Amino acid sequence: MAQATAPGPARVRRSRRAILVGWSFILPNFLGFALFTLVPMAAAFALAFLDWDSYGTPEWVGLENFEQLIGDENFHVALRNTLYYAAGHIPLTLVAALALAIVLNRKLRGVNFFRTAAFFPYITSLVAVAAVWNMLFNPTAGPVNQVLEALGVAEPPRWTASTDWAMPAVIVTSVWRDMGYYMVLYLAGLQTIPREYYEAARVDGAGAWQRFWNITLPCLRPTTFFVLVMLTIQSFKVLDLIVVMTDGGPGRSTLVLAQLVYREGITEGRFGYSSAIALVLFVIVLTVTVAQFRLNERRNTP
Amino acid sequence: MTTLQDAPQTVAPPEPSPGARPGAGVARTVLAYAALGAATLLVLLPLVWMVSSALKRDNEVFAIPVEWIPREFRWSNFVEIWDRVPLLTYLGNSAFLSVTIAFLQVLTGSFAAYGFAKVRFPGRDALFLAYIATIAVPWQAYMVPQYIMMQRAELTNTFWSIILLQAFGAFGVFLMRQYYMSIPDDLCEAARIDGLSEYGIYRRIMLPLSKPALASLALLTFVSTWNDYMGPFIYLTSNELWTVQLGLRSFVGQYEAEYAMIMTGAVLSVLPILVIFLFGQRYFIRGIATSGLKG
Amino acid sequence: MTTSTRHLTKGLAATAALALALTACGSGGGEPAADGTTTLTVTVWNLAKTPEFKALFDAFQKANPGVKIQPVDILADDYPEKVTTMLAGGDKTDVITMKNVTDYSRYSSRGQLADLTDLVKSADTSKLAGLDAFDVSGKYFALPYRQDFWLLYYNKKLFDEAGTEYPDGLTWDEYAELAKKLTKGEGSEKVYGTYHHTWRSVVQAVSAAQTGGDQLGGDYAFFTDQYTMAVGLQQAGAAIDFGTATSQKSDYRTMFETAKTAMMPMGTWYISGILEAKAGGATDVEWGLAPMPQRPGATEVTTFGSPTAFAVNNRAEHADLARKFVQFAASQAGAEAITKVGVVPALQSPEITEAYFALDGMPTDELSKKAFEPDKVVLEMPVSEHTSDVDTILNEEHQLIMVGDKTAAEGIQSMNDRVKSEVLD
Repeated sequence: MAQATAPGPARVRRSRRAILVGWSFILPNFLGFALFTLVPMAAAFALAFLDWDSYGTPEWVGLENFEQLIGDENFHVALRNTLYYAAGHIPLTLVAALALAIVLNRKLRGVNFFRTAAFFPYITSLVAVAAVWNMLFNPTAGPVNQVLEALGVAEPPRWTASTDWAMPAVIVTSVWRDMGYYMVLYLAGLQTIPREYYEAARVDGAGAWQRFWNITLPCLRPTTFFVLVMLTIQSFKVLDLIVVMTDGGPGRSTLVLAQLVYREGITEGRFGYSSAIALVLFVIVLTVTVAQFRLNERRNTP
Repeated sequence: MTTLQDAPQTVAPPEPSPGARPGAGVARTVLAYAALGAATLLVLLPLVWMVSSALKRDNEVFAIPVEWIPREFRWSNFVEIWDRVPLLTYLGNSAFLSVTIAFLQVLTGSFAAYGFAKVRFPGRDALFLAYIATIAVPWQAYMVPQYIMMQRAELTNTFWSIILLQAFGAFGVFLMRQYYMSIPDDLCEAARIDGLSEYGIYRRIMLPLSKPALASLALLTFVSTWNDYMGPFIYLTSNELWTVQLGLRSFVGQYEAEYAMIMTGAVLSVLPILVIFLFGQRYFIRGIATSGLKG
Repeated sequence: MTTSTRHLTKGLAATAALALALTACGSGGGEPAADGTTTLTVTVWNLAKTPEFKALFDAFQKANPGVKIQPVDILADDYPEKVTTMLAGGDKTDVITMKNVTDYSRYSSRGQLADLTDLVKSADTSKLAGLDAFDVSGKYFALPYRQDFWLLYYNKKLFDEAGTEYPDGLTWDEYAELAKKLTKGEGSEKVYGTYHHTWRSVVQAVSAAQTGGDQLGGDYAFFTDQYTMAVGLQQAGAAIDFGTATSQKSDYRTMFETAKTAMMPMGTWYISGILEAKAGGATDVEWGLAPMPQRPGATEVTTFGSPTAFAVNNRAEHADLARKFVQFAASQAGAEAITKVGVVPALQSPEITEAYFALDGMPTDELSKKAFEPDKVVLEMPVSEHTSDVDTILNEEHQLIMVGDKTAAEGIQSMNDRVKSEVLD
């Protein structure tokens, strides 16, 4: 993005015309985007400073909703759970995606089949995914625990039926679902690394691990960055999978922020409060993402 | 934004590995296939189970120990379901929505992306930032304001609502812009000198060059629309407008115990996507591949 | 330049064509049709599985020629979310079905429902059970048409096989003993003594009704005995454990209809379900009804229940007709219509009860009839501005007790603390 901002000298003259031309490209999409996304979003954020029950006239309450947030235990629980989910989902998906990509980055007969297979969980409908995984994680009759028992685990976790294991179960499912998508991104990254690097390293006698560590990883840094940003945004916004798998339970063990936004707003009708939570969530994601951009820039300019 | 700037110049020479070279090739290939097979099986296991359950009786689904292969293949499940649920209508609605939205998203998204990537004008980057920032806001937060707008416009309970909401997403613009950034500016510059207008460059140079990205965006949009539940649930009320996901979820809600039938529905709902994916796979992977690395 | 413009124009034309095609697909709801019929829209859930709606609609249409009822079918699980969104957006659907009293209190307090007080005042409503639940400081915004209450379903065959008498006048201790005695088999052949569905009411509303405890009060010590019993049954293996039931989205119908359980406390709405399943040949379960077990020393039969009601949207397109429909559903004619499909109407009279037990497939023994006439039916959850917040907390803590993460005492302590600090203060 940094390159794009620097204006080329040849273009300064044509500035007014450029504005017209530029906007003419953006306009068709922007009209729809502004009307159906930006405007409602702005309205939602404005609601964070109002008290509104979806029917009467909204009332200005300033920062009251945010003050209420600080003391709300549900918010604390949801924030903690969201961070827990992100802390599990982001690194595990990253590693799984990278590992898959490396395994599949070979010239093998039928590799396309394997790539498709790995990508398949991502395109499967969530309803189906949740149904299958809930059955797999069934604490008594589920295949996961049957396998664990066969392996000699005396008391396998009760997964979605236990407060300690419900979140890991959700994380496992989400990693399984998302890794194929990011694998494809990594696969693309891997294919751009010049073969000569590896050959040179081989001549120098570098082992497989050293080649991975000294060539593959550094060359993949731009991809990793992109994956990281997308994963972060996605992790903090998680909702669908949790709703269909555990609905926040047992207790509040898998209650996440986006779900609290939904519950306070749509279910309870406290739209102002719900918007305040959404705004906080937005600020958190934005902060993390901007930090990631900064870190990335610093690394790229040693 | 270049990919290789971080590549190390040299690798410190370690001690030579004494591994035997000849013969290792075959062993390696075998090993690679074994690893691939294992990984694939692991990834596909839940799906295998889904298909296998779809062919069982309801009470066999949870048998202990797990039966991976049904005792008898009840293909009749796949016949019966068409009588139980108006699946054809649902599939048709989903297909219509997915195709329309994918088409509009690709059209307007790529057009806008060109503006963001190749035309320089003041305020462009701020605008782009606004686009990106919206990706970070959970939809549930502005669902109600959006619904109120749609209701005022009397568009709820029509396909219009879903199309208008989803066809102009920021994601498509983002994806396409990343792709266009990778196309050298010199190419556009040369075209400009040749007298091509910006629209001409978009049409004659960018579009043909970005076919893989267009295909991947189209497929991604198609898949996400196809799999969307909340949007259709909130906006589409009449049963004849329902999508596959709504139908499937409603089926699960009403016939909770008919596990085999639920799985049959799940398999059928995934099938069309699989077919489309298999056809578009080559483009698809290449498409994301190229745009993906321009972090 | 020209070629590109032409292509663009083509693209735009295509979009426009698409737009036109789309307009044809969109269809508005309650516009009066050309042939003079008026279409009344009513929100319903799981239409295919809830026969009372069709029965009522048919009866109403028959009584009012020229009226066509168009159900707005909504998935039961997400019904409140959708209705909330619809009402917030100013939807004009005429009649809104109140699935439970909690949602009713939300909608009515926001002014989204039309005032029906005059309908209540103008008619004899003394026999309309559950009407009190809709009293909002002297005003009514909905009229109940059905009144469900809880009783004990049991499988006669399993009782006979065990050589046990049918469950008449049980205390909870006797019930628990009986459940253990009736449990048999292993693995997929296992038959449980009883089945407690995952809802918190199975434990909480029962004890509130029978001890007189207040579920909005902030002190939940009165849940203790019931939790001890429920958790005990689960640990003894006489009831399927909560975790398994949730993760496989266990269905109480299947549990009972496939004879996986000998007893099951459940609401009267399930009667129509069994009747339908038996009529359709889906099950051959021999079933009976018994009164809910009671606390030791109880002299009368106390259980809990909840009414279901119709309300008129404040923005209804056909408000008068909607009011007429609501009134019809709560009347004798409405009650007769839904009785025919095995649903318990809110309007109670000896004739209705008689008609009810005359239904094909209903058990006719004295015990079942006795079960059908409890002395006292307490509202499942009291209604106030705190209801839904307290409901959320009680539900979360219920899950924690039932999965064994907290003991009953810890869970109840936590309910007390949380309800006091998060809601009542």
